[in-house]
This record gives sequence, structure tokens and C-alpha cells, in this order.
Amino acid sequence: MIEVKNLVRTFQSGDRTIKPVNNVSFELAEGTLASIVGKSGSGKSTLLSLLGALDKPTSGDVVVNGVSLAGMPDGKLTEYRRRDIGFVFQQFNLIPNLTALDNVMLPMEFAGVRRSVRTKRAKELLEQVQLDVDRHDRRINRLSGGEQQRVAIARALANEPKLILADEPTGNLDEQTGGHIIELLSSLRREHNTTILVVTHDRSLANKTDRRFRLQQGRLTEETAPKQVQGMAPASPKAVAATAPVG
Amino acid sequence: MSVLARSVGNAFRNKIRTTAVVAVLAVAIGLALAMLVANQAVTAKVTELNASVGTTLTVNPAGGQGFEGGGEPLTAQEATTAAAVPNVTEVVGTKALRLRNATEAASQGAGGGGGFGGQATTTMTTSLTPAVDAGTLGNRNQETGTTGTQPARTFSLPITATGIGAEVDSTGKALDITDGSGLGDYTAASKSALLGTTLAEKNSLKVGSTFTINDQTFTVAGLFDAGTAFGNNAVYLTLPEAQTLAALPGELSTMIVTVNSMENVDAAKTALQTALGTDKADVTQGQRNLETAVSSLDSVKNISFMAFVAALGTAGLIILLIMVMLVRERRKEIGVLKAIGAPNRTIGLQFVLEALVLVTLGSAVGAAVASFASGSIATALIGSSTTTTAAPGNRGAAGGFPGGGPLGGATQLLTSVTASASPGVIAAGIAAVFGVAIIGALVPALLTARIRPIEVLRGE
Repeated sequence: MIEVKNLVRTFQSGDRTIKPVNNVSFELAEGTLASIVGKSGSGKSTLLSLLGALDKPTSGDVVVNGVSLAGMPDGKLTEYRRRDIGFVFQQFNLIPNLTALDNVMLPMEFAGVRRSVRTKRAKELLEQVQLDVDRHDRRINRLSGGEQQRVAIARALANEPKLILADEPTGNLDEQTGGHIIELLSSLRREHNTTILVVTHDRSLANKTDRRFRLQQGRLTEETAPKQVQGMAPASPKAVAATAPVG
Repeated sequence: MSVLARSVGNAFRNKIRTTAVVAVLAVAIGLALAMLVANQAVTAKVTELNASVGTTLTVNPAGGQGFEGGGEPLTAQEATTAAAVPNVTEVVGTKALRLRNATEAASQGAGGGGGFGGQATTTMTTSLTPAVDAGTLGNRNQETGTTGTQPARTFSLPITATGIGAEVDSTGKALDITDGSGLGDYTAASKSALLGTTLAEKNSLKVGSTFTINDQTFTVAGLFDAGTAFGNNAVYLTLPEAQTLAALPGELSTMIVTVNSMENVDAAKTALQTALGTDKADVTQGQRNLETAVSSLDSVKNISFMAFVAALGTAGLIILLIMVMLVRERRKEIGVLKAIGAPNRTIGLQFVLEALVLVTLGSAVGAAVASFASGSIATALIGSSTTTTAAPGNRGAAGGFPGGGPLGGATQLLTSVTASASPGVIAAGIAAVFGVAIIGALVPALLTARIRPIEVLRGE
């Protein structure tokens, strides 16, 4: 269960204050596949980075399974990211001089998993995301965009996180490959009961998720009634759109 | 893949850049090591010179030196006075005797001694034949007092026998005994003697052989090599024995005074002159030129040390800038590593290991450069140093006085300095470079790792 409480993030731009995330609150039950849509610059990626502890909120809190991230020291936040979060970046953000297998093994290495165990698991994950075996030992810069995205998803799953945060996972992919990636995320949610929050421009992708949120000028609204999926929690009534104060 | 393997892989990520970095590091590290080796070599040589020959003063009777001049002889009482002067650690008295071959002395008669004056010596006969022929210089020197109309006569050179109070030569330098042993107790009369190698060879003597001085038999206890033909045509006896032979107990020809450090030599010289009186004794510093040479070597030592520090600093700066550049270039990678849960220490370790891989390669190449360059650099530094200091010494030696001998030795010592790359010195230099590399890699990596991951990722 993820609870987001009155989350605010402000930035200074010259003498103006910008609020890409303005008093956002919502809850996501375990095993939910949710999406956030919104225009470019609406604060989607900022919200995602706050949920993933890549950034710290100006105010508000994120509570994951009863544990508050606000005020958590940097070392604990790193541990949280390592243990509970899996990131899929729009630009994949894989380590270019490592092989696909090494990239997937990296989070497990940081978690102290034995080499033999992490090698076995990394191979299983790469097979699970349907990356051909002959691509496992290829360097990242010799893989196609779709293959790199699969490796990124496999890496996000490496430490069996409770929450996967995917920032435009299909943004750099063609329609067919993007569709496959969505199928992959859905199947992962079903098989591992992982909560998945996807930020996207892609309306068709958003329509395939259990819950859809729209972020507009820093305010989050849930677009339509969520599909009835087991383990899904209703959107918070506080998640009401409002004009984000600027300046 | 372990952190180490990843770091090694990263170090070779861009081969051209790695080659360039290693080459630049190798030059800086090689120069630093070469300077360190040169500094060690010069330091060792300065210490050796200071310890051996840099702190002696020679006291002669006022107005006299060796077999020349006049004045009153030095006495044991004055030796006691000299020993009481501050900073004086040792006073060694000598008594010089002039020996003439008994056969030649008999054939030349009483007139034969006309050429030899000298206030402090006593001419005696010996069974020894001098190892040096008089030649033009010897005959010219001994014609003093004769008229130009008389036909030239052929002389044989005298042999100098010196009674010594310790196992040193007449300039205070330790005797280099090449065969046999020393005379044991130099403060007691003894019928043992030390012979110069060429003198012994000329007379077919070896250790255990005997010869006579004034019809008294002496046994050769050992042979010494003074390093010069003049110095090897000599005999050393114990001081009391020489005084007994001359029937002048307590009388000294010279005193060799050792001062505790080179810094105190000037002060001790002044104090000694005052204590003995300017009308009684002349105090000279035979190694003045050597002091200048040592001082010059000290400058070289300081220069080489500064060069070492500068080169090491340069190597450190290069490593620091390279690592700052690498970290800056890979900020996004650090952000990604942080995003997927890498602790700061892992990120720091990765970059430190990467820097160490580069420095190890640079050090290996640099050590090879240093092993070739250090000898040349040390020789160049010391060579340029002695060029300026050797000139006055050579002028002194050109006069033909015995005092020129030690200067030649000093020049030899200075020019023989060679830089040897000892493992300890190399290890110390490389450890210093590694230390700089660790700090140079760790600081920028940790500074970057401390930033929130999103700031790094967003910044790209």
C-alpha cells in the first residue's frame, strides 16, 4: 500500500516559485497497475521521482507499507530504492559498457546477493522479458531500443520490488514494441502482485491500466472510475484538481 | 561483475583517453620518482661527506708547515688546550720525521743534508729506498742554497715518517689499510709500522717484513693506500715512537682537530686560534673547499626535493583533474547507480579503484622512466653543482702541496654519486601517488554521490 499525503514540490526559477507537484494525495493498493497522464511539463516525472525517493518533497509525505519517507536519512532512502523500488526510465538509463546480464545483476550486487544466485536470477528475468538468450551477453549499446527497454524492466524487477515506477516506458518505442511492453508490465503485475505506476503520454497505454490519473498544473485528478481489479483501492477524494499557484 | 571488474572495465572504456592519461601520469610520476631517487642519493652522499671529511681543522706551529718555515713546535700541552675548546671532539697529534736512505746519506756525506731545512723535523737514516724518483722537480727543489755554477747533483727524495696518535693520515682522513692491520694502540711506543703500498713494493716488503730507522728494526704491520704516489711514499709509526726516535718527547709537528659538526667548524676554528694564540699556532681549514661542495650539494638536495614535491603535486593535480573530468562525464551514471540503490561507498570505491587502475599503469610506466632517468638527472644535478666548486680546489692542488690530495678525493666522491632506485624509495613514492589518487577520486565521486539522484539525472 502506497499513501501519498499532501505532496508538494516547489522549485525556484529566478524570482518565481514553480509548483510542479501541488498538494497531491492518493493511495494505491498492492498489485495495482496505474497510470498518470498529462502534458509535458505538468510535473509527472517530478511526482514519480518523489515517489521513488529520487527527490525530496518540499512538504507532504509518501508512506510505503506504513513507513514514512519524509525525514528518512539518505542512507535509508538508498536502501528503500534498492529494496522496494524498481525504476524504468524513459531513456532506459542502463550502463552502456556493461552487458545486458551485468546491468540486471547490478541492483542485486548492491543488495549483497551472491554472484551465482544473481547470475541465475538475471538470466531468468531476461528470459521473462523475452530478451533472446544470444542478447544476454551483448553490451547495451549493441541492443535495439525495445531490447534495451526490456533490459531496463528486467533490472527494475531484479530485487523483487513492491513498486515499479515507469517513466514513459514506451515513449521511445514504436507502437508494436510499446504494446508488448505494456503486456509485459501487466503480466508482471499479475504474476508478482507488484504495484506499477506508469507515467505516459500514450492514451492507449493509459486505457489499459486499472486506474488513470491526470496531472494538470501540479494537481492530480483521477479521470474515470477505476476498473474493478482485486487489491485496488479507490482514489482519494482529496485528489481534486485545482489550479496550481504559480509565482 | 564485481566492483573491481567494473572499475577495470571503466578504466579502459575509452582506450585512446586511457592511453593519453597513462602517458601523462607516467611522465609526472616518473619525474617525481626520479627526483625522489636523486634526493635520496644526494642526501646519503652529503651525510657521508659530512661524517668523513668535512669537520677537521689542522693546527701547525705559527710560521711553519710541514718541513718548511720556522717558529716554535707544538706541544702536548697545546693539544690538551685544543681538546678543551668547545665543539672539539678529538685532537690527534702527529710528529713528522724525514728519513734518508742510509747508503745514499753515507755516500753524499755531510753536505747531502744541506738542502733540507725545517724546524719541526729530524732527519734520520733508514734502510728504505724511496718509491718516488727525485726527477726534475725533486732535484730543482733540493738545489736551494747552491750556486748556479756548480754541476747539478742527483738526489734521492726523502721519505716522510709520521708518528700519529690515531689511525688517520696527516690530513685527518682514515687510513685505507689494504693489507695487514693497524698499529693497535697509537698512544704507546711500538716497533710496528705502516708502509705505503708503493714504498713497500719498491723495497720488496710485505706484512711481517722488517726495515730499520736509525739502526732500529721495525716490523711492517700493514700496508696502506693513500691514493697518491706522494702519499704512498710514506711510513706511519705510533706518535710516542716517532717522538722517541726524534728524542723530542711531547713535541708535535701538527694537530688534527675534529669538530662535532660542520656548522660549528668556523666557530671552533676561531676559538682554537684564540686558545692557542696566533703567535703559537696557525689553524687552517683544509676542507674549506669541500664544505663549499657539500653546501652546494645541500642546495641540489633541496632543489631535488622541491622538484619531487612539485612533480608529485603535478601528478596529484593531473589525477584530480582527470577524476573530476571522469566523474563529471559520468554524473548520469552515478545518478543511475544511486537510483537503483548503490550506496555512496560503493560508488566511491568504484571510482577509487578506477583511478588506482590508471595510476598503477602510470606508475609502472613512470617507474620504468624513473629507472632510466634518475641516474642521468642525479649526475646532471651533481655535475653542474661540482663544476662551480671544483675549480678552486684544483687551483689549490696545482701548487703541489700535500693538501691538494683530499680535494681530489672529494671530487671523486661527488662525481661518483649515482642514483640507485631502491625498492623502498620507489614504494614510498608510489604510495604517495596512490594516496593522492585515492583522495582525488574519492572526493569528486562522493560529492557527486551526495547529490539527490534526480538532480543528476535531470541535469543531463
